[in-house]
Amino acid sequence: MQERLSYDPFVLPFTFGMVYIIVYLIVAMARVINALPKEDKQRLAKGIFSKKIFISIKEIFLECLIHRKIFKHNKWLGFMHMSIAFGWFMMILLAHIEVKLYAPTRFNLPYYPIFFRYFMMETETTLRGGLLFFLMDFFLLLTLTGVGMAMYKRINKRRFGMRRTTRLRLGDTIAMYTLWAIFPLRLLAESFTSNVSGGSFLTRGFGLVFENFVSNPDHTLPIWWAYSIALGIFMVALPHSRFMHIPTEMLLIVLRNSGIKVEKKNKGIATISIYSCSRCGMCLDPCQMVSAARLNNRASVYFLRQVRHKEKETENTANACLMCGRCVQACPVGIDSCAIKQNVRDQRSLPTGTEQQYSYLPQPIASEIKPEILYFAGCMTHLTPGIKQSMEAIFKHANVNYQFMDEKGSICCGRPLLLAGQTAAGERLIETNKKIIAESGAKILVTSCPICYRAFNETYNLPIKVLHHTEYLERLIDEGRIKPQKSLKNFVYHDSCELSRYSNIYKQPRNVLRSIAYLQPTPYDGKDGICCGGSIGSTLLTSTQRRKIAIDAANKLTEKQPDCLVTSCPLCKKTFDNTTATDVKDIAQVVKEALIIE
Amino acid sequence: MKKIAIIGAGVAGLEAGHVLARKGHNVILIEQKNTTGGNVRNWDRLFPNQREASEVYQPLIQQAVNDKLRILTDTVVMSAKYEKNTHRLTLSNGETLNVDAVLISSGFRVFDAHRKEEYGYGIYHDVITSADLEKIMAVNQKVRTTKGKEPKRVAFVHCVGSRDEKVGNTYCSKVCCVTAVKQAIEIKQLYPDAEVFCLYMDLRMYDRYFEDLYREAQEKYGVTFIRGRLSEVAESFDDRLQIKTEDTLRGKPLKFNVDMLVLMTGMEPTSLAELLATEFNIHRGDDGFFTPEDEHVNFNISRREGVFLAGTCKGPKNIAETIADARSAAETIINYLK
Repeated sequence: MQERLSYDPFVLPFTFGMVYIIVYLIVAMARVINALPKEDKQRLAKGIFSKKIFISIKEIFLECLIHRKIFKHNKWLGFMHMSIAFGWFMMILLAHIEVKLYAPTRFNLPYYPIFFRYFMMETETTLRGGLLFFLMDFFLLLTLTGVGMAMYKRINKRRFGMRRTTRLRLGDTIAMYTLWAIFPLRLLAESFTSNVSGGSFLTRGFGLVFENFVSNPDHTLPIWWAYSIALGIFMVALPHSRFMHIPTEMLLIVLRNSGIKVEKKNKGIATISIYSCSRCGMCLDPCQMVSAARLNNRASVYFLRQVRHKEKETENTANACLMCGRCVQACPVGIDSCAIKQNVRDQRSLPTGTEQQYSYLPQPIASEIKPEILYFAGCMTHLTPGIKQSMEAIFKHANVNYQFMDEKGSICCGRPLLLAGQTAAGERLIETNKKIIAESGAKILVTSCPICYRAFNETYNLPIKVLHHTEYLERLIDEGRIKPQKSLKNFVYHDSCELSRYSNIYKQPRNVLRSIAYLQPTPYDGKDGICCGGSIGSTLLTSTQRRKIAIDAANKLTEKQPDCLVTSCPLCKKTFDNTTATDVKDIAQVVKEALIIE
Repeated sequence: MKKIAIIGAGVAGLEAGHVLARKGHNVILIEQKNTTGGNVRNWDRLFPNQREASEVYQPLIQQAVNDKLRILTDTVVMSAKYEKNTHRLTLSNGETLNVDAVLISSGFRVFDAHRKEEYGYGIYHDVITSADLEKIMAVNQKVRTTKGKEPKRVAFVHCVGSRDEKVGNTYCSKVCCVTAVKQAIEIKQLYPDAEVFCLYMDLRMYDRYFEDLYREAQEKYGVTFIRGRLSEVAESFDDRLQIKTEDTLRGKPLKFNVDMLVLMTGMEPTSLAELLATEFNIHRGDDGFFTPEDEHVNFNISRREGVFLAGTCKGPKNIAETIADARSAAETIINYLK
């Protein structure tokens, strides 16, 4: 291997693009890290200078190159992403190895490894050289296969397990078409030059055909120019397109592994998350606003794009979302788009208002008898009285010494206000409830509402244990305090978003239900749970739109015609009551029915 | 002589059947339930004059007997095919009918109050629907709480299952307002000392005599009308019903106890409507009721040739309107079959 040339003007477009993107990334990264709060900066430092970095590197390899999560979703889609990312990465890596081996003095020229074939000529055939030629061609073929698949995906997305794909913006279109052009141009360029530079099965093969047209490598310059221009355009377009996710995703992984979360007023990681969206569109199909209510623009992929480009619609999209978390579950990059939506909502927080407006809040009174259980039904349970009635019957049957916290009139747990972005007003309710809970002297707080459950569990910081009634029912059965009878009925259980996806309560309700009936599995169990459409997360969806989602969800859950659709959230129950002919009951109701109560 | 199948032997079906039979047509009535007469059979007295409901439905049923109409009860149409001007209907009893025209008069069903769980129907005792109250009145001519006492305080809740986006019914059921006024008066006639409340959104006293009845309810009988929707019901400590509402005219939240709560349930399309719409390929609105081709003039004609519509299957109607519509449908069919 011998150097033929070390420079040609065609490298300029590439070099310009390269410099542009490096400067852009350094400035952007500095700004993001600077925007992180002090504690997060410390966390990041710990994340980089500790064992955590190895976890991050492993994750970067598995997710950014191999695309493991996408493979799990669909192997063809995974292969497509993997072949482009991993193939290209390997070509760059091998090119640098080649330079290090054959032209070590040129290692500092950024363009040199990229256009290595043009500058070098093969003087003798060696095994090592042959292997490198082969590997380069192999990875070029892999990448070309990926590009071919990406083109085919535009025609037949269903083959890749997708019903919908993202609509592109101008920046995306330019970057995507130049990306598609880069690899065929590289193949052409290297094939034309292969009679001098050498090559393997792919480049040499094509080269033999092309030699009939052009044999002097210098006459193939236009194609090398085209290749360089394509690279240059891609790199300039990259920060302004969805391909920005390539560099940012790596930083996101490091930040996440350092324990930094998207939280209020935290601009840094939110910004990185927004730019890390590759707009792959994998959140489109799971989004029920898209699939059932046909509101395509409300999907998270478009929300993230609206935030990034500061579009007017951003706030509406944030307010429309049901916050079910299915998009977060599906996102291969792991972007917490619901948290970013919450940030947008919080920016609209209003002041608390006058003291008079809160005069209705009760004054907590210390209770003399310390109850075993403090029971909080919640507003929604008061609208589904069958649930609280059943819970009281179960408490009495099990001889539980309980106190009904909101029997006479409830104050809200505050979560609906927090979800709507009204933090200050929500805090007032939380304060009062905290006092009432403390005065009761109870050790366990049981609630029937998953919405309240999350508030108590995540926002209140209570010194006592908080249980949802599904957990408490399981405990009562385990302790033998209630002995429900098993019947021949078959049930389907609906996993509510708040309880399952957000609180990891899957097993408890299933254990309870298996002890009283046959429980049919559905494709929407556990993490794949579907939203009932009634979610208080959305402040913008109309009743008609919600109804479409509810009917679709109810139909999906009752496909196998169960005797009863069992819910564990009063709001889900209320929503399904009006959308399906199937009997809808809360888990407390079916347990109560399975008890022999005199 | 042409053959006509009428689906639904309620007020509309019976009346249309009678008109068609008098013209010499062969009429077959197909009824899902085991009796004819439809929803009116469950009513004790009718607004606005408290006339006995049987005075209306008995003659309609008798007419059909006199006309010797073929009546298939406990029967539904399973499928329908249309070719060469003939409708071939397959019935649930296994029979196949070839008819020249079909009249759909499948009527309405009363909204299932269980779906408004916050009102406590089926959960708390003494929460009943307007239809339940009629049945109680028809059987006993008196009203008692579950404990066997005379109710001292009764509240009527308007618009249960009507004008309520949350249950998916945005329309007004038309007859519940005046029914509530009628039933409130009836309670006061039975128990003059009882306190009676009507919780309403708007009072739609649209027809002749209705406004007078509403005035009479207030002036003569002392029924209290509160503009506000019921928010929720709970059991009170003295085993009565505690209701929460708002007097929106005074802007005050209200909480008080009653002995009995009557839910004015609205009208919904029957459970058969979906099947019929598919089998006959006819239009339904978002509310589930059938939609005629022309809402103003040819309101008995459906999209499918030879299939006609009459009565409350097209939306809420009172009895007189239903009878007029049934006669109009019969007339339309007679002209079509000429």
